[in-house]
Amino acid sequence: MRASQKPLPWWRAPWVDVLQFLVLAAALAWFAWRGANAIDYRWQWSRVPAFFYREIDGEIIWGPLIWGLQVTLYIAAWGLVLTLAIGLIVVILRLSDSLSGRILARVYLETIRNTPLLVQVSIFYFVLQPILGINNPLWTGILCLAFFEGAFASEIMRAAINAVPRGQWEAARTVGLSQIGAFRYVGLPQALPLMLPPLTGILVNLIKHSAILSFIAVFELTTEARNLIGDTFMSFEIWFVVGAMYLAITMTLSAGVGLLERRIARRR
Amino acid sequence: MTPGSRRARFHWLDLVVLAAVAGFVVYVFYRVDSVLVYRWDWSVIPGYLFRWDEETGTYAANLLIRGLITTIRISFWALILASILGVLIGVARTSNRLLPRLIGWGYVEFIRNIPPVPFLFLFYFFISSQIIPLLGLRDAMESLGPNEQAVLTFLFGPANLIENFASGLISLAMMAAAYVAEIVRAGIQSVPKGQYEAGHSIGLSRTQILRQIVLPQAIQRVVPPLAGQFITLIKDSSLVALISIQELSFLAMEIAISEQRFFEVWLSVGLMYFIVCYACALTFGWLEQRMGRHLR
Repeated sequence: MRASQKPLPWWRAPWVDVLQFLVLAAALAWFAWRGANAIDYRWQWSRVPAFFYREIDGEIIWGPLIWGLQVTLYIAAWGLVLTLAIGLIVVILRLSDSLSGRILARVYLETIRNTPLLVQVSIFYFVLQPILGINNPLWTGILCLAFFEGAFASEIMRAAINAVPRGQWEAARTVGLSQIGAFRYVGLPQALPLMLPPLTGILVNLIKHSAILSFIAVFELTTEARNLIGDTFMSFEIWFVVGAMYLAITMTLSAGVGLLERRIARRR
Repeated sequence: MTPGSRRARFHWLDLVVLAAVAGFVVYVFYRVDSVLVYRWDWSVIPGYLFRWDEETGTYAANLLIRGLITTIRISFWALILASILGVLIGVARTSNRLLPRLIGWGYVEFIRNIPPVPFLFLFYFFISSQIIPLLGLRDAMESLGPNEQAVLTFLFGPANLIENFASGLISLAMMAAAYVAEIVRAGIQSVPKGQYEAGHSIGLSRTQILRQIVLPQAIQRVVPPLAGQFITLIKDSSLVALISIQELSFLAMEIAISEQRFFEVWLSVGLMYFIVCYACALTFGWLEQRMGRHLR
């Protein structure tokens, strides 16, 4: 007889597992707290809200963490637009008949894939920024992230386009559509639902990777956090809060991607 | 635009691409030469790759090469550590019970949804202040005989930097473990259900099924993405430069500042990473192809 057919004893019920998990998490938090106390750490949670906003004379003044969050979201939004543009150009070059186009796309992809993002950021900031005469590190950072994520975006698009059966393209050409027409009316409508969920995942990556821009002078969330720690020495409180902020944003977005994926899967 | 492996030929798109590339190159040269009036000086780089050792009368590796070796060392050991942790978590995530699944889920989601940089800062604080003094690595290594020390230096780097190296290694491995766990989970779940049922019907316990039937099959599918994870680790290890671990990127920052040669140093370091990662990618691809042929 298989074990799963027996009625489970009460201590194998799911809620017991959840309870155990919560106890474990609490124990972990307690150890972290004890560890911090062991090095004579002074907790100052009461000062944290002031990093978000302060009320002076009935007027709300936003704090550094909110500015940082704003910059992070700004980077992610513009980064996504540029990423999609770069990804589209690269995938067109990659799938084209043009030899130099294919070579250029391959060189770009291999370069991005085989060098660390930190080195790319450094090259953009220390080398390309002065050469191209970009005045604003923020835009250097956005451009660098877009070039980095563009490689992944182009691969996602390529996979989706290649997933459309060959017969579809041939049929479209047979009924007299031009190359562009075949792409626009037959290829794209079928490829788009395939590429949408992974492309949304790129937004999550943009938010995560924007933290690396704290290395150059971009005042996004991580930079603001580092500056605050430099001023107040409240490393634990600030990193916990900032970590929770990132976690909240990325998990919400990830949940959104999952929802989108399921909805598209149901429609097909 | 139709995808497929049609033969490449020369047409109008080539003109656009070549014109764009040529325009970019000319613009860059114009800016560097006439606007920035920058004088390239690549002669500083070889001196940082190798130096002439007066004592032994031979060439010895200097900062950049040593940084690269540290990068490879840290990535290799992080991969080993992450594999051990990742297999445990990956198995936990496919468990029948809810508790191990919850723990595995919690770990993976926590790591994957916090950007690496804040995670490294927070974690480094804990590790360097709590765990590393507890281990007493440096004293242990310095108390060894010269032969053992030479072996350990070859494996982990010099004794005076061992604590620095270990904290970077542990932070990196903790992050990579989440990704390895997902690879392992995918590998385990790719083993068909019939295999479990067959194991069950001949009377094996769940541990036996896992050890004797599922894992041997899963390992075959896990090895290629794990090799890819090594390349990812080499790239991600550059992040530990931000917490002052003395690997390639960190040394590059220091050299670029002390020599005031940002262009040359960063381009060389980018090339060094590229050569290592691309060589690894080509080797792993070749090995995978050979293994695939063997399996078929």
